[in-house]
Amino acid sequence: MGKKKRKFPSLEEILQRPWCYYCERDFGDLKILISHQKAKHFKCERCNRRLNTAGGLSVHMNQVHKEQLNSVENALANRQGLEVEIFGMEGIPDEVKAQHDARITQQYWEEQAARRATTGNPTPGGASGHTIKRKKAKIESKEEIEKRLETYLRQVEQGIPMSEIMEGIETAPETVPTPVAQQPFQAPQTSPPPFANHPFQAPFAPPFAQQQAPFQPPFPVPVQPFSGPPMAGAPFPPVPGFSPPGGQPFPPPFHTPTPPFAQGAPPPPRQGSGSAPALPQRPQFSAPPVNAAQFQQMHQGAAPSHTVTQGAVDELISSARQSAQAEEATQTASKPKKEKNTRMVYADNEISPEEKMAQLPKYQFTRGAREQQGSVLRSATGTVGAGATGVVRE
Amino acid sequence: MSSSQFELTDPPRDAISALKFAPNDANKLLVSSWDRNVYLYDTHDGESGRLTRTFEHPAPVLDVCFGQDDNEAFTAGLDWNVRRINLETGELEFLSSHTAGVKSVAYSSTTKLLISGSWDCTLHVHSLSDDRSAHTTCTVPLPSKPFSISMTPTKVVVAMANRAVYIYDLKSLALLCSHANSTDNTQNIVEIEPLQRRESAMKFMTRAIACMPNDSGWAASTIEGRIAVEWFDPSETSQARKYAFKCHRQTVDGVDVVYPVNALAFHPIHGTFVSGGGDGVVAVWDGVAKRRIRQYQRFPTSVAALAFSANGKYLAVAVSPGFEDGKEDPEGVVKVFIRELGESETKGKASK
Repeated sequence: MGKKKRKFPSLEEILQRPWCYYCERDFGDLKILISHQKAKHFKCERCNRRLNTAGGLSVHMNQVHKEQLNSVENALANRQGLEVEIFGMEGIPDEVKAQHDARITQQYWEEQAARRATTGNPTPGGASGHTIKRKKAKIESKEEIEKRLETYLRQVEQGIPMSEIMEGIETAPETVPTPVAQQPFQAPQTSPPPFANHPFQAPFAPPFAQQQAPFQPPFPVPVQPFSGPPMAGAPFPPVPGFSPPGGQPFPPPFHTPTPPFAQGAPPPPRQGSGSAPALPQRPQFSAPPVNAAQFQQMHQGAAPSHTVTQGAVDELISSARQSAQAEEATQTASKPKKEKNTRMVYADNEISPEEKMAQLPKYQFTRGAREQQGSVLRSATGTVGAGATGVVRE
Repeated sequence: MSSSQFELTDPPRDAISALKFAPNDANKLLVSSWDRNVYLYDTHDGESGRLTRTFEHPAPVLDVCFGQDDNEAFTAGLDWNVRRINLETGELEFLSSHTAGVKSVAYSSTTKLLISGSWDCTLHVHSLSDDRSAHTTCTVPLPSKPFSISMTPTKVVVAMANRAVYIYDLKSLALLCSHANSTDNTQNIVEIEPLQRRESAMKFMTRAIACMPNDSGWAASTIEGRIAVEWFDPSETSQARKYAFKCHRQTVDGVDVVYPVNALAFHPIHGTFVSGGGDGVVAVWDGVAKRRIRQYQRFPTSVAALAFSANGKYLAVAVSPGFEDGKEDPEGVVKVFIRELGESETKGKASK
């Protein structure tokens, strides 16, 4: 299984690879890194001598060739300076190191997501990185549901404020968290109990499956004070950030900023509370996609215990959907997709920059002046053979 | 990077259109500018060169090239005219007039032909024999506007709009031109079949073209950060060797910003080439090994033109603001840098 491991190295392994400060390339071995630096960055362009450090090269250039070294050859634009003394992995400033680690980590997760999107499989060892506590769909029996509806109606009749009702509902039986692996491809339930408390979603179901998948409403349907008219044909409300086929009955409550790696990437493992500085920014929990009713609920002081998790789940759903869509887009029409991400500095394919420039008023050459000039020149060439026009300045 | 690079004194006041080293003297540099002047520099007089002379034109000068020797030059002007300059006396001589701005001029010392390309979709072929009375000019119609012209000792390659690339044989052009009897170039319209008609290997507008010094092929660049390398030989094996690659791009906030590749120049000895882009970057490429040899530190603005000296020791880089980033009225630094090249600086890696 060694082969498999080499194919998908873990994040730790990647982070441990030595890399070059000047060009951000990474190497399998420190020795190779050092020889790379000597060949690419510390080589004297006059005599091809390979020095060990930029400082060494500077001294060499100074003494041997009487030249001043100003920048490190072949380096990235912001790494050309001579101030830092680099040898192999030594001397790299901490913040640069942290930046590199962050970049590598982000790239790693992006790759993981891409691989997941293409293969549809959880990555080897990667699945353990996504032990997001998931709520098991709570299945209530018909009697239980009826009983709850009854209680609710009674409460409404009694004129109990909505917030209290909500709180009461919130304390409804808590569900058991289930590990992802246990139900990754659960088939869509055909007859969803209408009042289940928590949404359920197969973690990486393809988008069309999601559309068919019956979502349980986050809370009982009748208790939706601000979410518009009750839906006739739809037994469940749409999950925010997910438009049901055939129109959108509810406008999205508010826009959730896309986390930096939401583009097809699942969030990194959520273990521990604080994030290490090297890790990419976590998705914002401050504004999870919640619908109007939840929003209302939160404003009334009842911070629901499951809202955060639900936000994360929604996020996961939407990101998985996004990645799948991106996948589809690249498969069907890769060209327009590519163009979307590029910006041409000069995009006029018909008129050359010079012609554009010639149209500027300051370069405008009036026809009259030209003709005059031309005729003068022509007559000059005609008579003398070598017409000397134009002004010559010393 | 060592300090073997310096800035020329007294650069043009406005954008640079072209610059060329003299065919013999490696210190003689001509620079044409939109400020209506052609500048002649002695690049190694003192610390940072000396401006020897300026030649004022009635309109912005779009291209310049040297003639038979170091004292003869030709210019292409926005005033539709092609001129000859005697660099010693400063005399300007009118050669021909197009019906639109003249974008480029190129001189072939082997056939003594001067070819000018204008936006009026024609080439003017001037046969400049030593006997001045025997000068003839003829007009070659083109299917589209020529944007760039490059020569080898035997051929001329014309890159046009609509991705057209025509290759003409200089000898047959010279022959046709010598048979033209009228001195008025408008009478001498020559319908000559090009040696080869090619379509650019790239989708976008060709910006610059430069031929390999060994007469085997050329490199062309587009406004969309791409360079293609192609070969003259029409055989299938040679054609299979042609390729194109992306360059002069930068990723800013996840968006790939693509700059035009404004200038190309082949090293006369090593056969490698340099490209200069709107991003202010100059890169050295090995077209045969398909490798980038090096990339220089970013110049302050867009690179407008590049030239190697005939002995291959110096590289001149003209920097001037272009139409990048949608600027309507380009303003900014206009500079000429002369770079003294190390022995192996632009040499391709030996294949081991």
